[in-house]
Amino acid sequence: MVMMVVFSVMFLISLIAVASNPSPYFAALGLMIGAGVGCGMLTQFGMTFLSMILFLIYLGGMLVVFAYSAALAAEPYPSAWGSLEVFSYVVGSLMLVVVMWMLLVNDFGAFDEIEGCVMSVRRYVGVSEMYNAGGYMLLVAGWVLLVALLVVLELTRGFGRGCLRAV
Amino acid sequence: MTHILFTISTAFMLGLTGLTFHRTHLLSALLCLEGMMLSLFIALAMWSTQNDMMIFSSSPLLLLALSACEAGLGLSLLVATSRTHGSDHLQNLNLLQC
Repeated sequence: MVMMVVFSVMFLISLIAVASNPSPYFAALGLMIGAGVGCGMLTQFGMTFLSMILFLIYLGGMLVVFAYSAALAAEPYPSAWGSLEVFSYVVGSLMLVVVMWMLLVNDFGAFDEIEGCVMSVRRYVGVSEMYNAGGYMLLVAGWVLLVALLVVLELTRGFGRGCLRAV
Repeated sequence: MTHILFTISTAFMLGLTGLTFHRTHLLSALLCLEGMMLSLFIALAMWSTQNDMMIFSSSPLLLLALSACEAGLGLSLLVATSRTHGSDHLQNLNLLQC
């Protein structure tokens, strides 16, 4: 319960850190912390396998690509959360979230954690039922990923369009 | 409203406001989209588990695959604009009307 509240508050803080318009390096850092904390939230509710998938996809796959693109879109004077414009965004959204929390939240206990019961043993089937139930749709999703690969290759093609730039 | 429901929906709304307000970089907008997809993933996973319907727990996997497609396409658009226009500032893209 306590860990759940701590994880959710950290998740909100990391989303504020992404949404408050800092430089892309710091926004990627905030998103990385948010993905890790989200894995913690899912683990608290007993979904260890989905938490592992989220960890692998976000932290292993996507953020490497985001770090590469942040290096591509580099700027000489990055602004962290300490600069004035970003700090005003942070304070404003933090106050808004706290006020809405005081107005709306009246119940802590409706979603409670499953004690000692992980997804791989839940209803005795777990992960195999997950892959069995949505198997054909997951196959379609694999083909969608292949089409996305072709589209990315087509978009970034072309020697005639580029130019040398000093990053 | 419970605490978890508030957390997930507020995270989604924070990502949405970050996307719609003034952005300097295209990459920041893509990161806000990723944050929205992260909150949707957690919401779908918690929905399928808390309602005790494990048969729906492949829907967050589908959402994750589609969000990976979206992130890849957004990054390739970022690479294409920074190759042809020199930078990824949204103000620059508005000014050049591309």
